[in-house]
Amino acid sequence: MPSVPRHLELHPPLVNGSGLLCFLEVFQHLDRQRAALGGYVTKSIGPEGRPGNVAPVVYDTGHVMLNSLALPTQPIESWIEDFRSLPVQKPVIGSVYGNRVEEWPEVISRVEAYVAGIELNLGCPNYVPGETSLMTVVGDSPAMMREVVGLARAATAKPLIAKLSPNTDYLAAARIALDAGADYLGCGNTAGPGLAIDIEAARPVLSGISGGLSGDAMRPVNVKMVYDIYREFRAPILAYGGVSTWRDAVEYLMAGACIVGLGTCFAYRSTRQMARLTRQIWEGMQRFAGSRDVTHLVGAAHV
Amino acid sequence: MYEVCTIVENRLENPRTNTLFFDRTFSARPGQFFMVWLPGAGERPFSLAYPNGLTSKVAGEFTAALMELKPGEKLWLRGPYGRGFPLKDGFLFIGGGVGIAGLRLLADRVGRPRFLLGGKDAGEILYHEELARLGEVRVATEDGSLGMRGLVTDLLPAGGEHVAICGPERMMAACLSRLTQRPSKIYLSIERYMKCGIGLCGNCSCSGRLVCTDGPVFTASELRRMPDFGRRRRGKTGAWTDI
Repeated sequence: MPSVPRHLELHPPLVNGSGLLCFLEVFQHLDRQRAALGGYVTKSIGPEGRPGNVAPVVYDTGHVMLNSLALPTQPIESWIEDFRSLPVQKPVIGSVYGNRVEEWPEVISRVEAYVAGIELNLGCPNYVPGETSLMTVVGDSPAMMREVVGLARAATAKPLIAKLSPNTDYLAAARIALDAGADYLGCGNTAGPGLAIDIEAARPVLSGISGGLSGDAMRPVNVKMVYDIYREFRAPILAYGGVSTWRDAVEYLMAGACIVGLGTCFAYRSTRQMARLTRQIWEGMQRFAGSRDVTHLVGAAHV
Repeated sequence: MYEVCTIVENRLENPRTNTLFFDRTFSARPGQFFMVWLPGAGERPFSLAYPNGLTSKVAGEFTAALMELKPGEKLWLRGPYGRGFPLKDGFLFIGGGVGIAGLRLLADRVGRPRFLLGGKDAGEILYHEELARLGEVRVATEDGSLGMRGLVTDLLPAGGEHVAICGPERMMAACLSRLTQRPSKIYLSIERYMKCGIGLCGNCSCSGRLVCTDGPVFTASELRRMPDFGRRRRGKTGAWTDI
């Protein structure tokens, strides 16, 4: 497999974060609502169907959002049926995971014909209580990450994104992912994880006990991750985490991202309002860039 | 962020359906919903039947736990979420089974209501006396134990400036084919498997609309562009099941 970087053509350079909205008919509908998203990322597709955690799976503290969906996925056959019957005009990136190392390339080889790129979910902090899955260790295990990314690289010639956790030694993880053939780094998954206790119930709110942090308050965590990784590698970066205005998106571009993902900002909004928000973000980014293309903002904070 | 309330009464409506009354009221537009958490049992969406109460039918472990709640025990609610019914006079209400609960709050808030209620038997016709005090009630039961023997759709067409429908999805779809009101004046409260309730997870998608934030109330004209209505829904894993 040649090591030439493979590019995602996303116009505008905005996507939804994986796990958010996530089904193809929702992407179709957001397209009909003229969302200013250049592509869409599926919910993480795993080797077999699983429901993940039961509700409560989200908790809004008022300052930060916790979620613990824990990788629900319909069976791959159902995903393939959706890819065939629910065509999306914009590029769709398939987010994938495996429970065992050899499952990652298996999942990729089954879905890669239907997607414009593959995102490896290497840093999801959520799990069903009591379960030990590869997901909880792959981000912390350099050897395993090298193997997973390498197998993924061999399984697809399409753009490959290694989505990393901000909660680990992400510079080491980024180096391994790039060496093993990743084209993009996803920076990053949810932070923490955190835990919220309802004091009247005297127990954790989330069924998954703990959950990944997202939303405005955690943005500086992932901005630093993007900044650090860009400074070290100058690699193409998809940034996620706490974007709700055009200023936030520009901040990520300046830190070094070339594509920005949106997620928690969609909470409490109808699909029409979500689409309008994406347009406002994109219009603001362009206005700020003035006569130049927004790509000129990438890495602008690095002096 | 939940608001906690204490149960003051657990009223048995029929052997599988109960209404829980709280020590406080919640403010919501009729048709909006709350995510109701019972620690240890889980969390599910409910539209309130009363400002201080909800009606639930046993369908699984969570609703079985709601059936067992006693005065003094607590419930946790977050919301209200979603888009409810418009507050207009002259509604024709069509309710099927426990779906009648989804219309109860609206019935108190609008003028000149009329009701068409359906169920398997007399026990499924919720709030019959309360609703009869608000307006004309016509009933159809499958066993003929109350009203005419048959389905609620057998009572259609019927007059009314606007229509509010809540019940099993196949019943609602059947109603649409028999109503003569304009589709933009027919409002249906629909249900999908919800996880987050706030527009993030996407599991409650119906043809790409999110039932939690775009609905749960849709007009019949909107549903015309939602082919999954009456046809299929996504389950816990996201996989489709037929309706």
